Amino acid sequence: MDVSNIIESLKLIKPEIAVSASLILVLIFDLIFHKDKKLIPYVALLGLFATGYFVIHQFGTTGFGFATKSTFKAFGMVTVDSFGTFFKLLILISAVLVLFFSSFSDEIKKTTDRLGEYYVLIFGMILGMFLMVSATDFLLIYLSMELLSLSSYVLAGFTKLRDRNSEASLKYVIYGSVSSGLMLFGISIIYGLTGSTNLYVINSLIQSPQINVLALSFALILVMAGMGFKISAAPFHFWTPDVYEGSPITITAFLSVASKAAGFGLLIRFIKTGFAAMTLNNGYWMLNPIFDWKLIIVILAILTMTLGNFSALWQNNLKRMLAYSSIAHAGYLLLGLAVFSNQGIAAILIYFFVYMLMNLGAFLIVMLIADKLGSEDVDDYDGLGYTSPFLGISLAVFLVSLTGLPPTAGFIGKLYIFSALIDAKMFVVAVIGVLNSVVSLYYYIRVLKHMYLVKPKIQPVEIIPGLSQKFLVLLLVVPVLFFGIYFSPIVELAKNCVVLLGF
Amino acid sequence: MTLYDIIFYLFALITIGSAMLVVTTKNIVHAAFALLLTFFGVAGIYVLLAADFLAIVQIMVYVGGILVLIIFGVMLTNKITSVEIKTGTLNVLTASIVIGVFMGLVVSIMVWTGWYSMPAPIPATTAYGLGETLISDYALIFELLAMLLLIALVGAASIARREKESL
Amino acid sequence: MAGFPILSLVTFLPVLGMIIIMFLKKEQALTIKYTTLLITGIQLVVAVVMLLNFNYNAQGVFQQSSFQFIEKFRWIQVPGVSWLGTVKIDYFLGVDGISMPMILLTAIVSFIATLSSWNIEKSIKGYFALFLLLDTGMMGVFVSLDFFLFYIFWELMLLPMYFLIGIWGGPRKEYAAIKFFIYTLFGSVFMLLVMIGLYFSAFETLADGTKVHTFNLLAMMDPSNFSANGILSPFNPSNLRFIAYIALFVGFAIKIPMFPFHTWLPDAHVEAPTPISVILAGVLLKMGTYGILRISYPIFPDITKQLMWWIALFGMINILYGAFVALAQKDFKKLIAYSSVSHMGYVLLGMASLTTAGISGAVFQMFNHGTITAMLFLIVGVIYDRAHTRGLDEFGGLAVQMPIYAGFVTVAFFAAIGLPSMSGFVSEALVFVGSFSVEGIRVLSILSSLGILLGAGYMLWTLQRVYLGKLNEKWANLKDLDVREYLMFVPLSIIVIFLGVYPSGMLNIMTTSVNTLVNLVNNGFAKVLF
Repeated sequence: MDVSNIIESLKLIKPEIAVSASLILVLIFDLIFHKDKKLIPYVALLGLFATGYFVIHQFGTTGFGFATKSTFKAFGMVTVDSFGTFFKLLILISAVLVLFFSSFSDEIKKTTDRLGEYYVLIFGMILGMFLMVSATDFLLIYLSMELLSLSSYVLAGFTKLRDRNSEASLKYVIYGSVSSGLMLFGISIIYGLTGSTNLYVINSLIQSPQINVLALSFALILVMAGMGFKISAAPFHFWTPDVYEGSPITITAFLSVASKAAGFGLLIRFIKTGFAAMTLNNGYWMLNPIFDWKLIIVILAILTMTLGNFSALWQNNLKRMLAYSSIAHAGYLLLGLAVFSNQGIAAILIYFFVYMLMNLGAFLIVMLIADKLGSEDVDDYDGLGYTSPFLGISLAVFLVSLTGLPPTAGFIGKLYIFSALIDAKMFVVAVIGVLNSVVSLYYYIRVLKHMYLVKPKIQPVEIIPGLSQKFLVLLLVVPVLFFGIYFSPIVELAKNCVVLLGF
Repeated sequence: MTLYDIIFYLFALITIGSAMLVVTTKNIVHAAFALLLTFFGVAGIYVLLAADFLAIVQIMVYVGGILVLIIFGVMLTNKITSVEIKTGTLNVLTASIVIGVFMGLVVSIMVWTGWYSMPAPIPATTAYGLGETLISDYALIFELLAMLLLIALVGAASIARREKESL
Repeated sequence: MAGFPILSLVTFLPVLGMIIIMFLKKEQALTIKYTTLLITGIQLVVAVVMLLNFNYNAQGVFQQSSFQFIEKFRWIQVPGVSWLGTVKIDYFLGVDGISMPMILLTAIVSFIATLSSWNIEKSIKGYFALFLLLDTGMMGVFVSLDFFLFYIFWELMLLPMYFLIGIWGGPRKEYAAIKFFIYTLFGSVFMLLVMIGLYFSAFETLADGTKVHTFNLLAMMDPSNFSANGILSPFNPSNLRFIAYIALFVGFAIKIPMFPFHTWLPDAHVEAPTPISVILAGVLLKMGTYGILRISYPIFPDITKQLMWWIALFGMINILYGAFVALAQKDFKKLIAYSSVSHMGYVLLGMASLTTAGISGAVFQMFNHGTITAMLFLIVGVIYDRAHTRGLDEFGGLAVQMPIYAGFVTVAFFAAIGLPSMSGFVSEALVFVGSFSVEGIRVLSILSSLGILLGAGYMLWTLQRVYLGKLNEKWANLKDLDVREYLMFVPLSIIVIFLGVYPSGMLNIMTTSVNTLVNLVNNGFAKVLF
């Protein structure tokens, strides 16, 4: 690869460069102004906005970057297309929101002297995620996942004052290392079969009949373990509840949305780029028949949502409940993937956009309440709906949306997922999916029950959020309701973003 | 079986045997020393694969750096040396079955698969080619590794920093 | 009236009221109550204005041109690409002879329920805000002609209902509320799947000639709008259409509630506060049968004809089962709840006959049951307010103590039994005329008539136990009705008696549309298919 190629490629990764630059900037700021940390969040925010500029600028751009000598000129390690850009935008928006969350969070305020590290690590996560959603080379896939994991391991145990923080961090490290080890083993087998790490090259090579199906399937399952870990799909979900419960709530929110988005972006691109022979005109993908992707993904999806929903039923800790609910949502999202069509991908994009709003919203309210109450236990929410009507109603909106009832945006997400399934004639799967959403009603509504129906044993405290906090909550509530009634913009956006370079 | 094969299996045996020792021994110092052997074994396999640069790096970084650090850590933390690490043997049967199946799979795959092979002459040294590739084809990967190390440093600093109990 | 969005007004007026209430202070309890009363009052007036402007000869059912007060404009539009067709959803409201009675019913019951809510004390602001939201949901279901819109309104009333039962209900309110919610959601998720299936099967031709998938209910009623290989197309030989019909039917049946999906009803009724019971029995149950008439029948006429015997069978089971269980009740409110199950059975039986008489009877029975049961629940509410108990055996001789109240009780009870000159008589008679005339379900019809006997049994027995006989001294200080309660009972009694004497007043509204529906189900589809 000559220099001109590198320079051409660099133009494609401007957002990533911006993230790296902001990371270093925050680090330097932290070193220079180590007495006064007040400035750092603003620097970080500035960095995110700069990145946002480049991401938005990138919409519509397509291209391959960093092609190696041995691969075709056209297929690079980094693929820039609207699909990836959509996920980058999603990650960025949630990062901005999490930044605001952090400025309110009591947990984070207690660690002021390490604030620099906090933001640096968040930028590390963003960089990893950005590269994950555009990676088409196993080397880059693995490395970006490690970058994300490493940053999130530390952040999961960032507040060291409570035992469960360290526990969360340690569990995350152990599960994470095992799954990334498995994935690496899978990658090495695929390399052994094809002699390449580039997904485009692999795609063309595994078309040949002499590929050993057993070896390939084995390798793919191992790779799926690594990606399944990131999206917390069953049976790779065991870390999720503990880590979500133990981490600082801002990080939990970020993990549950952005990290999951990056995992999905990677998984979808991996399957599409590596194993789709072509996309038919009606939007369905012709997948390479050597591996039964549909069966695997359907089983994963059903397992994931059923386990997630049924485990959530028994949770008293709200963070833990939301962790299981996020597992269940990963299941619905996998259903969208199981269709293997552009419709399914569009549904996933719509769902993710909506999921970001409602899930971050729910975590925000839980955080605001936990800061005052010192508890995330659902029993302590008794009667809270009356003393803190604003937070109560907002949480109700988010939970109803997570259940998927109209007229909230959550319904639109579910509608599109199930539409994709019905259109693909996967009726049984669709029925299992809707029944799952009935189950989920029970645990979401349980929170509302405690807030409004249960008579409190002690007089519940009054939580009055500040003006800026109210504003932030509204920033999430209003779109959840608005997109529930008028959803053309999201559909339009998602439709335009189902541009996946590949076969 | 050629001489090459015999050497390979020798190194493999050293690697696996010492790795087994690492996880089974109850004395942490013994484990650390067994790890030393494992690293050596891996380095030997690298040499056999004509990856000279990698072998040197393996010895310099892992044996010379990381392992020494580990042993220092163990020695300096006086309480740890005498601590017996409990390896609670739970579900031996299940674990054996799972591992057995996994191993069977791996072995059968190893035997039955027609691996992709690229016949190429063994270069005199790989260091030059590696260096060139890293700054041309894999420039992005190289830079990303740098970022990864930076993050690792920051993370380590953050973990090591003493937390004030209250503010 | 042309061009004036009267249907949006009648539907969203309560939302306006809700917003006003949101801005009122908690302490302004009376203002909140009067606001709600005013809003539901205006709604009632608007409904009456609609009735006055109603064209009795317009068919409706499947013909867009003959629907009245139509409002239709584009709500969602996303231009399509090769793999994703144009997404188009209309905001489409309209009224015909089947929905008009339901709109009147909703308006009347909401108004009466507001009056009956006067002695709610706990968090008044929340109560009336949710109450009005519920009102919008109910009204919306009866006026939407677009499946998507219908579904949104259908689901919209779940949450307010959950809170209204759960916060202001009786001792086991939490259980009852969640049971209601889960049951209904269980039904409606199947409806969602069928809705999506129909969307992908049916087309609508736009003004510029392009064909797009549609949620338009009227378009789904025309077989020529289905593509040959559509999932739920009548031309598709697979039995998916059959399964879809049953799934949809279950969604509606839970709401009716049809045996064996009825178990949520007694719990919900017993725990709900009186006005909510009134709404629940008066309007919500009708949404199930209305949905069947509006959606299942005209869209799936082929399957409907195959399954009419089964629908009649379940109607019969509902009638008899409800009546038998009602006989065994010791709790006044539970008795009324089970009598509802029984009375909704007549609606099912009438619908199953697929004759003009039967379906007219069914729609009329829906209206009558709404008014009569509303009265019955108010009656229970009156003694529960005063005595704080509902045990049937704990009373006796109340007629002496509260003569005026007892008078209304007699009217309501006789109407519920189906005594001639009361509205209930006419609708039940029509149901039996219709179902008896169809040979296939004649036996079921005859068996069902036992329900009238049983109905008379439990009603008269209740009358005797609670109101006649010697006055239980414990209740010697119960007061008779006050002005507010008069206001609740008088209009309902007038309606019940008026429609008993002059049933055409209501039947004329629906006849044309019911005829059209009967024709559509009996031949409309067949002509195209065979």
